[in-house]
Amino acid sequence: MKRKAIIFTGALLLTLAAVSMAFAFGGGNGRKGKFLYRKSCRSCHGKTASDLSPATKTQAEWTALFKDVSKLPCNKEWQGLPDKDLNDIFTYLHDYAKDSPTPAKCS
Amino acid sequence: MASNKGASLSRRDFFKASGLAVGGGLLGGLAPSVAKAAVPDSKWESHFSACDMCFNKCGLVARVRDGVVTKLDPNPKFLKSRGMLCARGNAGIAQLYDPDRLKHPLIRVGDRGEGKWQRIPWDEALDMAARKMQEIRKKYTPCGHLFSAGADLQTQFVTRFAEVYGSYNITSHESLCLLSGTRGFLDTFGEVPFADVLNSRYVIMAGANRFEALVTPDSMDLMTAMKDGCKLVVLDPRFTKTAALAHEWHPIRPGTDMIFMLALMHIIIGEKLFDPEWIAEKTSGIEKLTEHVRQYTPQAAADQCGIPREDIVRIARELAEAAPRSMVYPGRRTSDYENSTQIRRSFALVNALLGNWDRPGGLLAARQVGLKGVPYDPPWYDENPDDRVDAHKVPGMFEHEGSFVITRDAVLKGEPYPIKGWFVYKTNPLVNAPNRKKSIEMAKAMEFMTVVDITMSDTAWMADLVLPAPSYLERQDPCSGLQGSVACACVVKRDPVVEPLYKTRPVFDILKSIADRLELGEHFDFSMDEYRDQQLRGLPDAMDALDRDGVYYNPSKVYGIYDGRIYKTTSHKIELYNKRYEQMGQDPMPVYTPPSSVPENHFRLVIGRNAYLTHGSTCNNAMLHELVPENELWLHPSAATKQGIDTGDTVLVSSAVGQGEIKVRVTEKIREDTVYMLTGFGPLSKGLSLIQDSGASIADILEDRFDTISGNASMHETIVSVTRKVPA
Amino acid sequence: MTKKQLAMVIDSGACIDCKACVISCKVANKVPGAFSRNWIKEQAPDFSGTARPSMHFQPGACMHCDTPTCVAACPTGATYKDLETGIVEIDKGLCIGCGNCIPACPYGARYRNPETCKADKCDYCPERRAAGLPPACVDTCPTKARVFGDINDPMSEAHQLLKSGKNPIVTVVNEVTDTKPNMYYLDKTAPGDWTEPAVVPASMTAMKQLTPLVKGIVGLSGLGVLAMLGRQLLVGDSHEQEENHHD
Repeated sequence: MKRKAIIFTGALLLTLAAVSMAFAFGGGNGRKGKFLYRKSCRSCHGKTASDLSPATKTQAEWTALFKDVSKLPCNKEWQGLPDKDLNDIFTYLHDYAKDSPTPAKCS
Repeated sequence: MASNKGASLSRRDFFKASGLAVGGGLLGGLAPSVAKAAVPDSKWESHFSACDMCFNKCGLVARVRDGVVTKLDPNPKFLKSRGMLCARGNAGIAQLYDPDRLKHPLIRVGDRGEGKWQRIPWDEALDMAARKMQEIRKKYTPCGHLFSAGADLQTQFVTRFAEVYGSYNITSHESLCLLSGTRGFLDTFGEVPFADVLNSRYVIMAGANRFEALVTPDSMDLMTAMKDGCKLVVLDPRFTKTAALAHEWHPIRPGTDMIFMLALMHIIIGEKLFDPEWIAEKTSGIEKLTEHVRQYTPQAAADQCGIPREDIVRIARELAEAAPRSMVYPGRRTSDYENSTQIRRSFALVNALLGNWDRPGGLLAARQVGLKGVPYDPPWYDENPDDRVDAHKVPGMFEHEGSFVITRDAVLKGEPYPIKGWFVYKTNPLVNAPNRKKSIEMAKAMEFMTVVDITMSDTAWMADLVLPAPSYLERQDPCSGLQGSVACACVVKRDPVVEPLYKTRPVFDILKSIADRLELGEHFDFSMDEYRDQQLRGLPDAMDALDRDGVYYNPSKVYGIYDGRIYKTTSHKIELYNKRYEQMGQDPMPVYTPPSSVPENHFRLVIGRNAYLTHGSTCNNAMLHELVPENELWLHPSAATKQGIDTGDTVLVSSAVGQGEIKVRVTEKIREDTVYMLTGFGPLSKGLSLIQDSGASIADILEDRFDTISGNASMHETIVSVTRKVPA
Repeated sequence: MTKKQLAMVIDSGACIDCKACVISCKVANKVPGAFSRNWIKEQAPDFSGTARPSMHFQPGACMHCDTPTCVAACPTGATYKDLETGIVEIDKGLCIGCGNCIPACPYGARYRNPETCKADKCDYCPERRAAGLPPACVDTCPTKARVFGDINDPMSEAHQLLKSGKNPIVTVVNEVTDTKPNMYYLDKTAPGDWTEPAVVPASMTAMKQLTPLVKGIVGLSGLGVLAMLGRQLLVGDSHEQEENHHD
């Protein structure tokens, strides 16, 4: 029998897209996002700003947070980041969020 | 009488005080005679460490005389183990002084698996490993190299190395062990629970054998709870020692646990034996579950699992009566069936109905330990493929654990991309993973395979390069945070208790040296002490406690952790109905399908371990070998008579994928349609001198099916024939 | 004042047959190969009837009996009951490895150590006790089924368990040879049918009935001439006590 070959996160993103059509983020490269997050975010979060990991927030909270990136305190630091990178970061944070199928382990 | 009563309770106090006195006076329950850890005898030095003979990491005190470990004792202050050290822990000394230890780096000179080796100097070995890893990375991308590491305090360095080297392909031992249960409970409660066995009044244990497969503190706490009146009901096709000591043993037909659980829910919901307010507040989907379990009558369950209808009804009522201080024990190794995630989810759902989550005697959330991760920043490799080699085959794969059997199939096919390098540490798939023929082919498919171990394991036997590691008593390890259920949330560390016996190197040093050679040294630019400081940065008192007591306790909250908090699930409640599963095309609630039928004169093979062995890693231990020199096949007398087999006869056990020769023990401790054998025997390696030609290997016989949700191996799906081997 | 009697009070119902005690003892006391100073016996399950099959596990070792047949069987006086502690001791300097004591124990608690060629058995880990540690088997037990202490000391947990009257106390005794064992089981224990009648050489039994002086003479004319003499000279005191005890 052919097995279901879709992963949880993929389907979730589809659902998410269906629920909030206007939302621009989703479907990025989570692995790249993890790399970018470590490079662009953790230099502050974990050292000077509050500790932060994907599992800090729920998927809904990440989604809400990314609705308007310009309102984030670290928007200034993010100025140079292309949308694709931001989307990858979002995908990583969202896919390993507190209420995701596989919440992030620390490292 | 009062003092008498006190005396008879003191053993219990030892357990109870520890668990319940959260915060101050954690050690108050220790009997004065036991609390004397210090040894005034000047001939002995005493060093704290943490055991490594299984995954439990029990606190120990090593007694050392003139640089030689003479005895390993339990650390009486170590609450998670209830101040004990088991047979394996005591036999750790035989691991340290095992003449079969690897003493030098070895390079393969004959054919793979032929066993011809040549000693080479460390520098040469590390140069070669680095050169080969670099070649593979260039030829096949970094993801063309697989890393497999078992449960060990230094495993985090293998993960770290793999990531900075650039490979996503990391498999742990968990996909040969516990992932189905992890998946099932995570997808119900949002996290994996720890059982408060100590305070439970009624425990149903199915697919677990806690009095033999010891898990701390559960095994000890179960006995203490039973002495206090807790009832234990065991469902097992085998009369385990847990079954032997239980109040009830039901020799359930293998693979039918789910319908038993569904029938319990049928009764509990049908007779309204749950707390409606709690269910309404904390869970989602009770209406759908009510509808769903209507079909699973006790009679339907009885017909399937062979447990009388009246017993099922009675057990359901008793369980509900004891709620919320009652549970279906979650279990640990859950690599049993292709639908094991759903089987374990049915366990989780009964617990949900009992309302035992986050409450005394029920299932507890992870407690705060406070150990921090040590961040690192791996480079990005554009040339890599998009995903893991085992991705997209099952919907509920764990990114951090992978699936060994699916990975192996991908390696053999070379799809979706080739994997040609393999680094293995502290895991032994050649003895533990089903269908050994495939594992051998997998090793043969490698251009270079490196194994770091302390003895010539079966997996090391297939390698190109074997690097000797120090045993746990000879090395320094990172700190480790442990969840001890109601007993504690604690931190342990490991320092050498004696100088290394041989020119071994810990995997940390090995990876650091290879990283240097690959110009990745910046990611390993720290000492173990510095690493620990980072781990302990949020726990200023921890190092003092570790030095003083061998353990640090975080007096964190035990119960009510979820008060005012959301559950980490899609609905933010306990999911009786799992919407995510529905979206994935999976059954949102467990749907029972009967296990494959066992043809006449055939048997379902079930496997397990006992209290004396931890799979392949301990069978060759001289002291434990005295207890279990080989494994045997348990066969029911009526089946044995039919086949003309007696105890002591050698039989051939054959499945669709392989066979093994093993001696039979005819016993009524097993169902007629089932046979059982211990894991870990029947080695390929000639470097394990005590167990040559001893017993059969489960790896040779088991088929390599897997759980269709988690990718965990399914080790109870194999049907075998058993034929007497006529002496030549 | 009552004399000391170190002993074990065991809740065999808590034993899970994990054999931690067996391995711990082997390491602590350097017991070679397949030999062991202690054991866990099992009550085999009964699958024949309608009753639920069950098992019971029973930890044991030398029971440091009040009337030890092994002492009676020892030709050199190497084996003696130490009345300071209540322990049945083996003076390794006097043991000639004759093996008489081995079948003399109804419990099979003794073996002949092939490395030292001496009799060996449980002595409650004197080195550990001197260091303030419990015997190895007690210390390591996962379910803390064993309670060790001076049962004549009202402050000890062992005494309190034994004398509280809360739990029935049973001992495992051979019907033919009741050696008055000092290993006590709480509530109930099983199996109980595994002991063997003590086999004590007739000459030894006779000898032990005689006065110390006559015994010395018999000893001289019998086995272990010099060793026996040494025993009389060096540890006469405790030997006297032993004889008193037998009176």
